[in-house]
Amino acid sequence: MLNRRDFLKLAGVGATGAAAGFALAEYSKNPAAKLIPYLVPPEDIIPGVANWYASACMQCGAGCGILVRVMEGRAKKIEGNPIHPVNKGGLCARGQAGLQALYNPDRIKTPLSRTGERGKGEFKEITWEEGISILSKNLLDLRGKGESDKLCLLTSPIRGHLDSMLEVFMKAYGSPNYLHYELFQYENLRFANKVVLGQYTLPHYDIANTNYLLSFGADFLTSWISPVNHSYGYGHMRQGRDGIRGKLVQIEPRLSLAGANADEWVPVRPGSEGLLALSIAYEIVAGGYYKGGDAQRWKDVLNRYSAKTTAPLTEVPEQKIHSLAREFAAAKPGLAIGGENVASYENGSANLVAINLLNYLTGNIEKTGGVILNPDWVKKSFNPISTLAQDAANGKIKTLILYNTNPVFTTPAAMKIEQSLNKVPFIVSLSSFNDETTILADLILPTHTYLEDWGDVFAEPAAGFQATAIIQPAVNPVFNTRGVGDIFLAAAKGIGGNMQKELPWDNFGVFLQDSWKKIYERYKGAGITEANFKDFWNNLLAKGGWWGKEARRSKSVQNLSPAEVSANLPSEPARFDGDDKEYPFYLTLYPHSVFKDGTGANLPWLQELPDQMTSVVWGTWVEMNPITAQGIGIKDGDMLKVESPYGRIHAPVYLYPGQRPDTISIPIGQGHRSYGRYADGRGANPIELIPYKTDAKTGAIPLNSTRVKVAKSDMSGRLVKLEGVTRELGRNIVQTISLEEFKNMKS
Amino acid sequence: MKKFLLFVIAGATAFTIGYNANLIYFSEDDRYPEQPINFSHKIHAGDNSIPCQYCHIYADKSSVSGVPSVQRCMGCHKLIKTDAPEIQKLKGYWDRQEPIPWVKVHRLADFVYFSHKRHLKANVPCQRCHGDVASMDRITRQAVFAGIPYLRVSNFKMGWCLDCHTNGAREFIGAPVKNGQDCWTCHK
Repeated sequence: MLNRRDFLKLAGVGATGAAAGFALAEYSKNPAAKLIPYLVPPEDIIPGVANWYASACMQCGAGCGILVRVMEGRAKKIEGNPIHPVNKGGLCARGQAGLQALYNPDRIKTPLSRTGERGKGEFKEITWEEGISILSKNLLDLRGKGESDKLCLLTSPIRGHLDSMLEVFMKAYGSPNYLHYELFQYENLRFANKVVLGQYTLPHYDIANTNYLLSFGADFLTSWISPVNHSYGYGHMRQGRDGIRGKLVQIEPRLSLAGANADEWVPVRPGSEGLLALSIAYEIVAGGYYKGGDAQRWKDVLNRYSAKTTAPLTEVPEQKIHSLAREFAAAKPGLAIGGENVASYENGSANLVAINLLNYLTGNIEKTGGVILNPDWVKKSFNPISTLAQDAANGKIKTLILYNTNPVFTTPAAMKIEQSLNKVPFIVSLSSFNDETTILADLILPTHTYLEDWGDVFAEPAAGFQATAIIQPAVNPVFNTRGVGDIFLAAAKGIGGNMQKELPWDNFGVFLQDSWKKIYERYKGAGITEANFKDFWNNLLAKGGWWGKEARRSKSVQNLSPAEVSANLPSEPARFDGDDKEYPFYLTLYPHSVFKDGTGANLPWLQELPDQMTSVVWGTWVEMNPITAQGIGIKDGDMLKVESPYGRIHAPVYLYPGQRPDTISIPIGQGHRSYGRYADGRGANPIELIPYKTDAKTGAIPLNSTRVKVAKSDMSGRLVKLEGVTRELGRNIVQTISLEEFKNMKS
Repeated sequence: MKKFLLFVIAGATAFTIGYNANLIYFSEDDRYPEQPINFSHKIHAGDNSIPCQYCHIYADKSSVSGVPSVQRCMGCHKLIKTDAPEIQKLKGYWDRQEPIPWVKVHRLADFVYFSHKRHLKANVPCQRCHGDVASMDRITRQAVFAGIPYLRVSNFKMGWCLDCHTNGAREFIGAPVKNGQDCWTCHK
């Protein structure tokens, strides 16, 4: 029988059991959910079925075509447009992360006007009407005082009709100061192309069909010009042709991803790449591979660069230079390219002239598998950012309008651009993010991202022929933002007079259509088959752009005069600041594989994407040769203080065998102060280390121009990387056998 | 030992009772929820024989069947029964240009990829999963058995899906569903 105690126990068990059962049933119930219907269903939306809009990627300047997957008005995924000739369906990590630019919680959500001290980031929210009227009133006042030329417009390089609209705006206003700036805008390459190819526009490098790719520091697979196009071309060069496997030789002090893919890596001394190229050129001419009538004159010009003379300067063996020259000249077609690493020396433009010369001497210009010229539409050389900084400091700029550019982050601290900008009485920033430059603005007008706006891209360098892509709004604006074109049209209306007459359009979409009408009329019947503009425009939006061999204008190869070219050739290795006793290492900086110049650092997908070569995530690292490190007692992951004569940064070291022992390399992209929650306070900005120098010919600021010293830092920090140890540790992963054993082996 | 067994049995029984008590007497909001408008499927689909897809217009085009837009309701009710109090409520939503916040009744786990379109293509009648909607005044996931509201129309569990994919499907397509047992058919 149950006694009282057991009865109570039983009652307890029963109550607990029942309560548990009740709770489980309650827990397994569906969360309350609502079904919210449309008031009026939109015609072009079927819930649950995706709409794909063809558009263009604006995450870098390559101009790839994209398809945006939109479900019920929300962009969900971006893919490459398979029919677009630039990327042929491919899309890089940066392009994929475009969604996170659209939905980024750190986007500027409404127009802002500065309330606190400049640079403190104190703003008050205003309406668009107020914002536009402040802007137009300022511009009216400036013009009223007869100082229209003191307006400056600084934008990222724009490759589309927006550019022509802004030109009209500035011209109608009466200011010549319309400038483009981006850290990697290839001014040096343009200069070299003007000298050797006769045009500023970047040509198409036909990697796909070449037999021999001689790459001087061009990381063409991750960051250089048009990486998706190059990657496709690289695959074709290696495996796309029956019986032909193109050879890749990578010449650079630090092994990049392209270098890791190469058949040969030539770790040249930093700064002497141009000399090496000229030395190869000399051997080509001396070896009788150059067939032109002026061979003797070329030989005279190149005489001072014989393999014997340059071998000690470049630290590449004489033998190697001979064999490179022989192989490159014999491979028809061969292609020599010079990347950002080579362009970023003090003599960068001269180096690139030397590399272009290799293509000229071997007759690989305007050849399949060589350099293919594009229609020349870049009219002017770029005004260097240093001019702007000077003008700002000297009070020559009264109003500065910034669009989508961040010079404060990407120029050396020694240039003091922040102080210069602080002398400008009125700064307006049109930007989606409150970056290091935008935070200095007095008025911030937030712009759409490319997924919300109208626009177009004339891809440079396209694909051997002109390739354009249309940007159409795939989604409605997420925040209270406006398209940059619309802002300028509204400002023109606000100023009135001739401005309104020159820019009469209601919105940028209409302007874009009108502009394309001109293209339609010009190419109708010659590449455009549609019977009327409406069909053409609809097809344009459906396909995502317009391209075709028809849009190619044939270009003839210009004849070079050896004497003229010789004036633009490097005569000595690039100089590096700092005494080589005190500062024992060359410093080379390179764009991070996905952040590039730092614009990608606010996208969490990219932050957590391991770097291809080192597998490091979330931070900045310093690459150093393991043997060098051993010599000075530094272990992998140690926090280092890297110091140049101009500044110092702290970052953990990554021991990297693909690094010359006398060189250390640091990726650019991290170390933001004001770029949103995902970017701020991560890593360090190595641009703080470099001096303020300019290329004599182009005014470009070289990144590889100082020596540094390193020491263990007392700051705390960790190297976060995906990979484990690169050594075998007796795990027998790679099985080896000695030559003797191999010879004695019985088959 | 015997006593311990007694406790286990008592606990288990109590657990079952507690669980079912919740389902039977405390689950009205979950399985038989009150809607913002007392809409009757019985009047529409039953008495007036309006086909399901007249209102659920996306069922044969999309993975979701679509909740009718307020405009669609008003398409008829601008003229029909405009003085009924429930229609007045509807008109209120329309006049305020507010969508009606219907309460969800049937729910499939979000890791299941289900498409109305495929099932309609295979001629599966709506009632097979949603129950005899034409007889329901208010949509419910429960049926009444011997006066006790207990058995569900369908439990939307994997076994129930597979049962139809293997056997039940003969009824509609004459054979088991092709790849019907494949994981990737429903779990993408």
